Amino acid sequence: MRPADLWRRTTFRLALGTALFILATLILASAFGYTLMRQQLIHRQDARVTEIFVALQQVGLQADQQDLIEAVTTRITASPDQSTIYRLTDTTGRILASNMSDVGIAPGWSTVAAAALGSPTDYPYRIYAAPIGPYQIVVGLTNADLDDLAEIVLGAFGWSALFALAAALAGGMALSVRIHTRLTAAETILAQVARGDLTARLAVAPRGDDLDHMSAAINQTLSRLGGLVEAMRQVSTDVAHDLRTPLNRLRIRIEAASAKAAPGDLVADDLNAALAECDTINATFSALLRIAQIEGGARREKFRTVDLTQVLAALTEVYDDVATDAGMTLTLQAALPAPITGDKELLTQMFANLIENAIRHCPVGTRIACTVAAGPAGIVATVTDTGPGIPPDARDLVLRRLYRQEQSRTTPGSGLGLSLVKAVADLHEATLTLTDAQPGLRVTLCFAVAA
Amino acid sequence: MRILMIEDDPSVSAYAARGLSETGHVCDVLADGTDGLFQATRESYDVLIVDRMLPGLDGLSLVRALRAAGVKTPVLFLTALGGIDDRVEGLDAGADDYLTKPFAFAELVARVTALGRRPPVQDIKTMLRVADLELDMLRRHARRAGQSIDLLPKEFTLLEVLMRNEGRVVTRTMLLERVWDFHFDPKTSVVETHISRLRAKIDKPFDQPLLHTVKNAGYSLYAPR
Repeated sequence: MRPADLWRRTTFRLALGTALFILATLILASAFGYTLMRQQLIHRQDARVTEIFVALQQVGLQADQQDLIEAVTTRITASPDQSTIYRLTDTTGRILASNMSDVGIAPGWSTVAAAALGSPTDYPYRIYAAPIGPYQIVVGLTNADLDDLAEIVLGAFGWSALFALAAALAGGMALSVRIHTRLTAAETILAQVARGDLTARLAVAPRGDDLDHMSAAINQTLSRLGGLVEAMRQVSTDVAHDLRTPLNRLRIRIEAASAKAAPGDLVADDLNAALAECDTINATFSALLRIAQIEGGARREKFRTVDLTQVLAALTEVYDDVATDAGMTLTLQAALPAPITGDKELLTQMFANLIENAIRHCPVGTRIACTVAAGPAGIVATVTDTGPGIPPDARDLVLRRLYRQEQSRTTPGSGLGLSLVKAVADLHEATLTLTDAQPGLRVTLCFAVAA
Repeated sequence: MRILMIEDDPSVSAYAARGLSETGHVCDVLADGTDGLFQATRESYDVLIVDRMLPGLDGLSLVRALRAAGVKTPVLFLTALGGIDDRVEGLDAGADDYLTKPFAFAELVARVTALGRRPPVQDIKTMLRVADLELDMLRRHARRAGQSIDLLPKEFTLLEVLMRNEGRVVTRTMLLERVWDFHFDPKTSVVETHISRLRAKIDKPFDQPLLHTVKNAGYSLYAPR
């Protein structure tokens, strides 16, 4: 699966979104925790500095100078890494004991960089300076703990964010693949339905999750639809039978009456006209039934490989003389074999309808040109004439059943020719377009070649 | 010819039976599928006309049962369904020809006649002759009165169908099916055009016309006496 495909999936995007939300929450929580802990640590650091200062103050107030120096020196010895710094000076400013440089320190609380204090560490110091009796004392505590805290918190945050993100992505991908598999299966089934197989059903697992519910609902819809289509098919078969039987009797009776009428009788002409009407009704009826059956899609099961060039070559041979007699020319330009998957009988009728339409509706002198060529999207067949064409706003209408253009109402025909062309094109999943050939009509059929 | 018609619509069967009798055939009529199957296996007929929808036993099953029982009598299948697949189903079941209702009586007679006189073994004659017209099937060559005639491939097939049915009416629909493999009704004069081209080649340069138009029925090739 390509990353772009993954990105397009709802489930994966949902997982990614959740992961980003968790990440944002994590950042906020960490920042809040860090601030709290830092304040707590600063408070505790100041408390320790105060504690040391008070202890030294007690020594300074109760004992003599030597004791105070000793107390400070002991503390200096106990902090060889200079994590705690001290400086004891007398009234003249003479240093009595110290493990820091001789810089001026403001009285009270301050924070001073390590370098200024002569400490080898990188961290600044929290410093308290105040007099104890006649002495000045400076007590400082390194900020190393505070900086370590920042490192710990940031590190912890980084790792947890990384893990959360990775887990969310992995989970999203797994979820996405799982749901995608089920959706793909459903899509395949629905495509099968779209091709006319209304007996196909989606799989419904017993776990009964939302997808199963949806599948069950779709299945129910399909069952109902299948039932309706079946009922309609039954009705159309019944109608076909029940209408054809009386139509057959009618034809027989007229034919019988016509046979009895003496030649030259006026009634004989009427009867022959009635017979012709009978045949027209039957032809329209048959064409409607045929279109309905083609649209039903059952013919797809009989698809074979058909060479479109062969189909059109045979048809141009058949209609060449018909066109010549009508004062037109009919040509075919197709060198290559053009194999598609389809129904030869229906394809033959479709192209025959197109050629006949051109012959019937165009004036003398019209040139009818058929082409078959391999295009980038598949095999393209065209039938082009130099006749009057079809106005742009009527191009969709002519594909409708029983629609006839104003000027062709007077010519015989049922208005079903192009509907049948459309039905056959749809059955073959071919795109049908009518364009202006300037002058004339160009009908283009593009058959996608199955990979 | 002795014909058995199995058809449940009395107005159709009565009319067809009367018409077939008038054209010199003997026609029995049965309305029930089971009776029809029994009669068709017991008696010997030249042609069976079987309707698709029948009480008792439907037409498709009847033809299948008949063929399974080894009865080889030619069957003309009638249907009011007229669907695209009905023709194929009928022929697959073992019927020899197929006709959709409503039909013209002339069409029925032409098809019954063509079926009845069909030789039991497929005709593999390599030279067809009608009067002084000859069709050499091996060399794909036509000649009349010793004169060679150039025919296009479809004209050759058209002439072959007509010559194999010498003296019988071949309808427009039969020609469309057999020559062009068209199973629909063309809106242009495909048949008429090709017949006229063929006529110009085989009849026009000669005294005696062989290819005749039979009004309201079709075409027939024969030498008039």
